[in-house]
Amino acid sequence: MAAPPCAFSPRGCRLFASSGPDGRLRVWDTAGSRLQHEYVPSAHLSAACTCLAWAPGGPRQPPSKDGPQRKKRKSEAGEVDKQLDILAIGTAVGSILLYSTVKGELQSKLDGGHDSRVNCVRWHQDSCCLYSCSDDKHIVEWNTQTCKVKCKWKGDNGSVTCLCISPDGKMLLSAGRTIKLWDLETKEVYRHFTGHATSVSSLMFTTVKPMNESKPFDGITGLYFLSGAIHDRLLSVWQIRSDRKEKNAVMSFTVTDEPTFVDLTISEVKEEPVKLAVVCRDGQLHIFEHILNGYCKKPLTSNCTIQIATPGNDGDSTPKPVPILAAAFCTDKQSLLLVYGNTLQPIIEKVSLNTSESHICLVRDIQKVLSLKTDAALTKVKTPVVNLDTKVLVPGIPGHSTAIKTPASGKEKKKNKRKPGETEESIEERLGALDIDVSKVKTPGGLPQTDSFAVLLVQGLESNDAEILNKVLNTRKENIVKNTVARMPIHAVIPLLHELTKRLQGNPYSASVMVRWLKSVFTVHASYLSTLPDLIPQLGMLYQLMESRVKTLQKLSRLHGRLFILVTQVAASQTVQDVPEVNQTAKLVYEDDSSEEEGSDDEMIADKDSDENWDEDEEKDKEEQSDEQDMTVEKEINGDSDLEPENESEEE
Amino acid sequence: MVAPGSLRVVRCGGSALRGARAVFSADSKYLLCASGDFVKVYSVSTEEILRLMGGHADLVTGIQLNPHNHMQLYSSSLDGTIKLWDFMDGILIKTFTVGSKLLALYTLACAEDSVFVVIPKKGERDSYQLVSLKLTKGAGQDLEGKELSVVLDGVSASMKHIAFGREGAYVVSVKDVTLQVYFFKRKLLNRFSLSTMKTKGGDNHFSCVVCHPTEDCIATGHADGKIRLWRNFHHRKEYTYSTLHWHHDIVMDLAFSVEGTRLLSGGVESVLVQWHGESSCQKDFLPRLGSPIECISMSSDGALCCTLHTDNRITIINSNLRFSRSIQGLIKSRDIKTGLVVDPRTKALVLNGEPGHLQFYSLQSDQQLFSLDIVQRQYIHEAGLKQSDLVKVAFSARGTWLATVEESEEVTDPELQLKLWFYHEEAQSFQLNTRINTPHDNHITDMCFRDMDELGDDSLILVTTGRDCVFKVWVMVEDIDPEEHQSVSWSCDFVGSYHNYQATNCCFSEDGSLLAVSFEETVTVWDSLTWDLKCTFCHPPGNIRKICFGRLTCSKYLIGATDYGFLCCWNLLTCALEWSAHLNVVVLQPDPLSEHIAAVSWLSKESSLFVFKPNEPRPIYIQRNLCKEKILLAAFVPRDEPEMISSEKYLWLRKSQLFFLTDTQELMTLSTKSLEERLTPSSKQLAVEESIPVTPFSLLLGKHRHQQAQEDIDLGKPVVHNKQEQASPAVKELLHTPAHVLPSASFLCTIFINSLLISKESKSAEEVADEVEMESEKADDDSDEEDVTATEQEDTGHMELLGEITCKPSKSQEKELRKIRKMDYSWISAF
Repeated sequence: MAAPPCAFSPRGCRLFASSGPDGRLRVWDTAGSRLQHEYVPSAHLSAACTCLAWAPGGPRQPPSKDGPQRKKRKSEAGEVDKQLDILAIGTAVGSILLYSTVKGELQSKLDGGHDSRVNCVRWHQDSCCLYSCSDDKHIVEWNTQTCKVKCKWKGDNGSVTCLCISPDGKMLLSAGRTIKLWDLETKEVYRHFTGHATSVSSLMFTTVKPMNESKPFDGITGLYFLSGAIHDRLLSVWQIRSDRKEKNAVMSFTVTDEPTFVDLTISEVKEEPVKLAVVCRDGQLHIFEHILNGYCKKPLTSNCTIQIATPGNDGDSTPKPVPILAAAFCTDKQSLLLVYGNTLQPIIEKVSLNTSESHICLVRDIQKVLSLKTDAALTKVKTPVVNLDTKVLVPGIPGHSTAIKTPASGKEKKKNKRKPGETEESIEERLGALDIDVSKVKTPGGLPQTDSFAVLLVQGLESNDAEILNKVLNTRKENIVKNTVARMPIHAVIPLLHELTKRLQGNPYSASVMVRWLKSVFTVHASYLSTLPDLIPQLGMLYQLMESRVKTLQKLSRLHGRLFILVTQVAASQTVQDVPEVNQTAKLVYEDDSSEEEGSDDEMIADKDSDENWDEDEEKDKEEQSDEQDMTVEKEINGDSDLEPENESEEE
Repeated sequence: MVAPGSLRVVRCGGSALRGARAVFSADSKYLLCASGDFVKVYSVSTEEILRLMGGHADLVTGIQLNPHNHMQLYSSSLDGTIKLWDFMDGILIKTFTVGSKLLALYTLACAEDSVFVVIPKKGERDSYQLVSLKLTKGAGQDLEGKELSVVLDGVSASMKHIAFGREGAYVVSVKDVTLQVYFFKRKLLNRFSLSTMKTKGGDNHFSCVVCHPTEDCIATGHADGKIRLWRNFHHRKEYTYSTLHWHHDIVMDLAFSVEGTRLLSGGVESVLVQWHGESSCQKDFLPRLGSPIECISMSSDGALCCTLHTDNRITIINSNLRFSRSIQGLIKSRDIKTGLVVDPRTKALVLNGEPGHLQFYSLQSDQQLFSLDIVQRQYIHEAGLKQSDLVKVAFSARGTWLATVEESEEVTDPELQLKLWFYHEEAQSFQLNTRINTPHDNHITDMCFRDMDELGDDSLILVTTGRDCVFKVWVMVEDIDPEEHQSVSWSCDFVGSYHNYQATNCCFSEDGSLLAVSFEETVTVWDSLTWDLKCTFCHPPGNIRKICFGRLTCSKYLIGATDYGFLCCWNLLTCALEWSAHLNVVVLQPDPLSEHIAAVSWLSKESSLFVFKPNEPRPIYIQRNLCKEKILLAAFVPRDEPEMISSEKYLWLRKSQLFFLTDTQELMTLSTKSLEERLTPSSKQLAVEESIPVTPFSLLLGKHRHQQAQEDIDLGKPVVHNKQEQASPAVKELLHTPAHVLPSASFLCTIFINSLLISKESKSAEEVADEVEMESEKADDDSDEEDVTATEQEDTGHMELLGEITCKPSKSQEKELRKIRKMDYSWISAF
């Protein structure tokens, strides 16, 4: 079975019409790859659609129609840049339907021209003529205004399969097996071209004017045209010459399979190559770029082949090819509109052309794109994909905001890493140090548990063993933490800090445990840390992390304060409500006040308590923080809620 | 080509469709709706615009079919004219000038040649009256409509607040809490009012009113979501009403079905409710219509209804409450914070759509491509609730990366999220790559990608500036973690600040080597490799409003516009001010394909456009008084193919087209084409005659129907379609005999067909006349051509003459019919 007929709308390819094997005509919007509408001809099963042609839209106005009619039309306010909306549909029983895609209804039916399958329909560019050819060996010229046959003549001894109108509109190419060039005025054969063994399936003019401008141009001589035939893997290019001798093809293009859809860009300039896109039956697209000038004996191979395949990761492991159904060049000649997938629901995509690569395989997950829906979508809302594995950056995570560092810090970082490497102690020295440490620990403490923890920790840090580290770092006992930190070797402090920083970024629960470790590290090893020359980059991350965590504390404590006032007020009013039963004098007001004061006093105490609790958790800046918190609470109670933001973000 | 006189400002994107209720044509094939200054004709089956009828100078406020001719349409506008159109051909037939603003238009079948309009009362503000206007039958196109007679005083300006009762016997008007009914024949005015105090919570103001088409019944919608059905309103005291309540908020519109058995209502819930009868228990819903329903209208045959939505969309709904089609215009967002951005991949204009959505609007085809749900949160309708919405959008140079900033407005602290989306080609959709919470501590003021060709993907840099006095540089990093699927993600690379000033704008130079960030009054220039501060520029007084680099030959210039009305051009090589001009620039937009820069100024209530090259202080193009509204945003959109522009003056429009958005949310563009060229529809050259000689059956039925209609018209009856049954005794017999006693279908078929056949002489004379008329229209054109072909046919031997076959339709039809008679109908019995 032949490929289903399909066609792009002229001027901009805004719409794509295709007729499926079920006889329905579907019009797709190329920009959104969305079904615009569907038309079912009344006899879609018996009289299936065999060919399609959009009426030409174009800036060229017919010069003959400058009558009073045109004047009338000028006064009309027309639509904005809407292209022609008439689609001619040839059917298998010989009738031609004219369908309006704007109105969505059948405009007229051209009957009585053919009594066999219509093979090709072509619109004349300028006038409203339609040409059709059929299996009944005839070519018919229609007047679409009156829907009548203007002229009918025998085109070939066999069926006529293809038509093409010359760029100037005065000649017509028709093809069965041989290609004939007709003069449209006299309906006489002007030239014959022979060479195809099978019936020709596509005809197309590739140039609008001859390449050598030396001779005067009569509208047809010197032009090239292209033809492809069924079961033929060669596309031939022919030239119309003034002498009648040469009848063979000028050159040919090889493709991998029978061509089913051909589109080309017509070059205006001599140097600009003709770009040709050929879709083959095997679903591949071949792109040729060639400057047409004279003979070329060898068949040309494609500059670029485009294939589409499914990714094939999950489920089926082998990628499957996705057939390309049609392709058209966009107006900028740099990008292609590709139609691929199922004929019932094709996907239309704009691909920018890159012919530097000879073979392009586009991977498209059509299962994801495709969704068989019978109902049209109500709104055009698309939901972009949000996977679970997207990276989330929250304040405090590295990468959210960098440490304020000196320029070219990257280099310095590397240097820093190298420096300790150079001054690194030998293994022997290190072992010695370890030994000393261990012996030290063993003699005075006599606490085997903490001792083993310190060793374990060092081992864990060196081997980066998560299991050991988890075991050690998840201890909550204050004593053990203190002892372990005190007994660990000096060189393990920085790695431990880095490990703690990493763990702080994670779960807030684990952070509360890590804070204890941090606290004891800072209290025990503060002197060591202050001697480090690269302290700022080493601790920058930790600093930022804590800053971002502490940022909301002020607000939280403010909220806490307010809530506390509320709660105490409620409590107080309840006590007040109890009181009025006893005496109901105006003194109540004062009592109310006093109770409130009491409440706020309570709150202050409570807040202090909470701050103290917090003190235990946080290890740094605790004194100032808590003081300031107290201050804020006090201020708030005094009704002065305008706080100046604390300026604690100075560098260390 | 004629050299165009001047640039014209052309609206695109379509105006709001909400000016008036949409109207279906009599055959329900077309939908007419008011859109800004235009009336649009849509095809119901394809959603395409068939006609765009322009001519009004101001907003179209009402459209109504001419009750005496279904192919004609009245439209009223704020410019004080009523126009009569032939909407099938888009021809303006008549213009009636009234003189005062027309706020609503109503027509009545019984009112001979007058229409009803709402006009403002003279001498009083915010007071309107309903008047009847006699349309004089003059000869010319432009007529005066001066014969006004006041029908009702003190009406509301909204077209939903007035309705005409069955057969035009009375008119109902609602305002606030009062309902007025005026009976034309009895000249009686009844007033009913609801007490404002009665309901608790909501206010029971009237929001809309409609009348039952066959009974004396009025349905009113209220602001508290109730629908009241009023009856017996002929009496001042004994009137009754019943209440239907489902909506939780204001009922935006109501519509009765043609027979009046069903009532449709819609509101902010985006649910269309269909009430059966008057009981509130029987109702059907069509939920999830996308956005609040503003207007509802029914087609005259009752098969379709359509709803207009607040997001500039028309939804066409079947009579059985099934969604059928939707026509989407440019969504008018309340506040377009994202600016106008061009998506490099689809060449579509990207801007705010619905809250949290990003709409992609194709300018070439003038339709919405799709809208992208970025925020992905349930939209909750509540007054005063702050929705999180998109504030900034940026695309990378090839459109593979999209950065969005969303913000949910809180009083104290904005909740910010920066999302980076990657265009996943396999799935043909954007995919979230990195989400950054609170990228800045305060509002983000600007965002831009380094606009380089993404050859090496690692060259991609995103810069955000915030009011928290820093700008941040985000880069792509490869993930070291092997467990994660993604190979790249984004992270911060550099945080820069300048003297604790708020960062307001950022901009990369064309080659990407320099970054300019403006901090209040100062522009700082940074090296994008080392992030060193290179130099600073300042032009006091006034903060920097916009900055941009020059392009191509002018890449050594930096342009800045300040609050105090200065446009400055600094030379980056000499680090000195090249020139400055006194101009209150509100929009500064460089063309990505040329060195031109467009600046739009706002001065003394008019916007002016200046196009200049940075290397010379003289603008190459000036258009004063571009439009009356303030222009908020502008964008250069690259053309598909460079346009042929003959005039030297407009060369800057060759490669790209300039679009702007005004504060009334109108999208405009500049066109060099003359009005005619733009408006001449290319499809006009193919006036294909409509001739569908389809199946013999439909031909027969059509003839029957035609005859019936003719008879009816002769008798002066209205055409009723369901009269086919008494067509012939055979059919009658067939239909009235019980099915179990009927013979087999194959036997019946011949009788049935025979009964439907018409004898030869019955072909009515009128029909022939009709055909002749149709032919005569085309005769002028065709006669010449036919002559030509005729002579040709004589010359060429092997051509056949075919004209005769089509000339005698009666014979061929007869033949065909006979064929049908002889056909074998045994297949029917298979069913």
